Amino acid sequence: MKQIRVLIAKPGLDGHDRGALIIAQALRDHGMEVIYTGLRQSPNQIAQAAIQEDVDVIGLSSLSGAHKSLFPKVVDALKAQQAEDIPVVAGGVIPPEDVPYLEERGITKIFTSGSSTEAIAHYIKQLIDKDREPVTKPKKIAHIGIAVHSIEQALPFYKDVVGLDLSVVEDVESEQVKVAFLKIGESNIELLEPLSDGSPIQAFLTKRGEGIHHIAFEVDDIHNRLAQYKELGVPLINEAPKSGAHQSEIAFLHPKAAHGVLYELCQPADKE
Amino acid sequence: MTSSSHYDESREAWEADRNKTKQRFPERKSSFKTSSDIEIDPLYTPEDKSDDYAEHLGFPGQYPFTRGIQPTMYRSKYWTMRQYAGFGSAEETNRRFRYLLDQGQTGLSVAFDLPTQIGYDSDDPMAEGEVGKVGVAIDSLQDMEQLFHEIPLDKVSTSMTINAPASILLAMYIAVGEKQGVAMEKLTGTIQNDILKEYIARGTYIYPPKPSMRLITDIFGFCQQHVPKFNTISISGYHIREAGSTAVQEVAFTLANGMAYVDAAIESGLEVDHFAPRLAFFFNAHNQFFEEVAKFRAARRIWAKIMKEHYHAENPKSWKLRFHTQTGGSTLTAQQPDNNIVRVTLQALAAVMGGTQSLHTNSRDEALALPTEESARVALRTQQIIANESGVADTIDPMGGSYYVESLTDRIEEEVNDYLEKIDQLGGAVQAVEDGYMQREIHHTAYETQKDIEAGEEIIVGLNQYKVEEEINPDLLRVDEELEAEQIEQTRQVRETRDQTRTDECLEALKTAAKQNKTNLMPYILEAVKSYATVGEIANILRNEFGEYTEM
Repeated sequence: MKQIRVLIAKPGLDGHDRGALIIAQALRDHGMEVIYTGLRQSPNQIAQAAIQEDVDVIGLSSLSGAHKSLFPKVVDALKAQQAEDIPVVAGGVIPPEDVPYLEERGITKIFTSGSSTEAIAHYIKQLIDKDREPVTKPKKIAHIGIAVHSIEQALPFYKDVVGLDLSVVEDVESEQVKVAFLKIGESNIELLEPLSDGSPIQAFLTKRGEGIHHIAFEVDDIHNRLAQYKELGVPLINEAPKSGAHQSEIAFLHPKAAHGVLYELCQPADKE
Repeated sequence: MTSSSHYDESREAWEADRNKTKQRFPERKSSFKTSSDIEIDPLYTPEDKSDDYAEHLGFPGQYPFTRGIQPTMYRSKYWTMRQYAGFGSAEETNRRFRYLLDQGQTGLSVAFDLPTQIGYDSDDPMAEGEVGKVGVAIDSLQDMEQLFHEIPLDKVSTSMTINAPASILLAMYIAVGEKQGVAMEKLTGTIQNDILKEYIARGTYIYPPKPSMRLITDIFGFCQQHVPKFNTISISGYHIREAGSTAVQEVAFTLANGMAYVDAAIESGLEVDHFAPRLAFFFNAHNQFFEEVAKFRAARRIWAKIMKEHYHAENPKSWKLRFHTQTGGSTLTAQQPDNNIVRVTLQALAAVMGGTQSLHTNSRDEALALPTEESARVALRTQQIIANESGVADTIDPMGGSYYVESLTDRIEEEVNDYLEKIDQLGGAVQAVEDGYMQREIHHTAYETQKDIEAGEEIIVGLNQYKVEEEINPDLLRVDEELEAEQIEQTRQVRETRDQTRTDECLEALKTAAKQNKTNLMPYILEAVKSYATVGEIANILRNEFGEYTEM
């Protein structure tokens, strides 16, 4: 894919450039080519620079309260030079009630105080690359992982009291864990027993005791999905898939991404 | 004294106990650090305190002033409560000033709009959209007369946030005083007049550094003779911190700039003890309470040593770092704005514990817009509550002797000195600014902070934790959009009714004087403003002579 080119500009006399500089740097870190105009640019200068530099998008920043008069002028200047196809996004100290007016005057998107650079970078990528795949639903809940001290001791409850069928027991060396799957409808209960003190399950048991450890979503696009989540700024424990039970490919999202729940993405091997 | 065997035994027992407890209750983080990346120990003890009390701390009002610059501090008089205000027209700002004075504020602080700060009249095309937005629009002496209408200049001290055109606005203030019958010898107040931090962090520069430094030393020279009670500069770390620096960088870059002004003044032929007592400083008060208190204390000590040992100033007044503080604007959130009142309270408390001479507390709604009258009142009340109800002002330097705060004060001093050495090696602050050194250091810190916040490693309540669904729509102050046109019309009338021949003569005389490096420009600027020459007209004369600065 072609590199996205962005013009970051400070219209008017405002000298607060901390935000503009941070955005510029963050977009560069996201692989974009960023041109920063520096301070005190007139709307015409900004439009000209955008055309000359052949950018895909313009980002404006103002903290002085002049946004209502200056931002629309940049859009007008682009129109006057038949360059209205360059979208303009903007940020700064902008009261929420000004946003509808600015959008009506042709600003594509306003990011108010507190917006994350990840969100802005992602928005720009979506905006420029409209063919990008949309976020899709996982197929189902593959299993619910339950940490136990001993599978042997836990099985009678699941088999005899709840009445589930044990489908498989196996060791997953990479995780230092022994697992037992009990089928329930289209999903499974997965019992997890640590194989050693170094096992993450042992750490979980020490800290919290037995209980629900994670929920796994079944997906069929784990590589793409991880890349997409990463781009969205979702904190990941595994940025690339690793091998899980039944030669599946798995990866965990960080619980802080999901309000305290540990989610696993799980792509079964060789789907028939 | 700390090596008694009982002490050692207790300490060992505590350490063993602590290690055991840590097994069961691990620490919240793998390491604890201040904003300046200073590692914070779990406990500070007498071992962390330097022994030489007299040399390190001294008594209030005594060198090196770690504990404060006056012998009585707030037991005699509270700090000056000085809220920065200004918006729209001179008339409107005058109303806000008189309101604040009625509410018990003790000093004025003028915010100018961006065109004024960058030397453009309201009708200049560059001023479009900015007139009256972040402060009051001042074009000619007439606006200044309206701004101080019925405010006797011998009764208030006025601080003006003005830099590149500082001489013009100071001249206007003098002229207003004259019209009120107040001689310039009696005027008290401060002009910011700190151009170096404009290149570094704030952005309202006009001319290149060299001629800008000349304008500054001209003010020093003129005021020393004619306006002796006015603080001729307020060397500002505030904006450096707002741009994203750490506490250490804030102090280091500010003091480095301070040294550059002292050097320039000495080079222009002034005696250090004649101008140094009129130098004032301006710092930020951020969130990390103890680091901020230590920062103020360290800054005082470092500056005292610089003035005494490096510049050999002999007048004790030259050694004293007097400073204004403003709470940290960039720490405020647009989300759950009432939380900002609490932030401001803690920051203001740090400034008071740090021994500030005057204080501005931000209003809760400033992440959204300029403060409303109600928000501005809560901000002022915050200071009044700290002063009158908390009891923190009843003894001097109450944090003095805290093992932690003393240790942090020492540590900040060391790190600031490292930076000062580095800047000296780069050829001094002016050179470092021209090379973009400080700008790069600040940007680096700012970007790291942003990343920490986004990763949730730094928690901002209401922003990345403890969020609520809210409709952010408090009553905000709106500047009347009609104002720009009215201001332009008023300035047009001034140009029409003034004695144009006199104005032209004054501007011509200024132009000639500007060409001669040794001539002090202040008297010429004063004559020009009295002839109702505008800020833009005067600034343009100097633009033609000095050129304009552009960023790299």
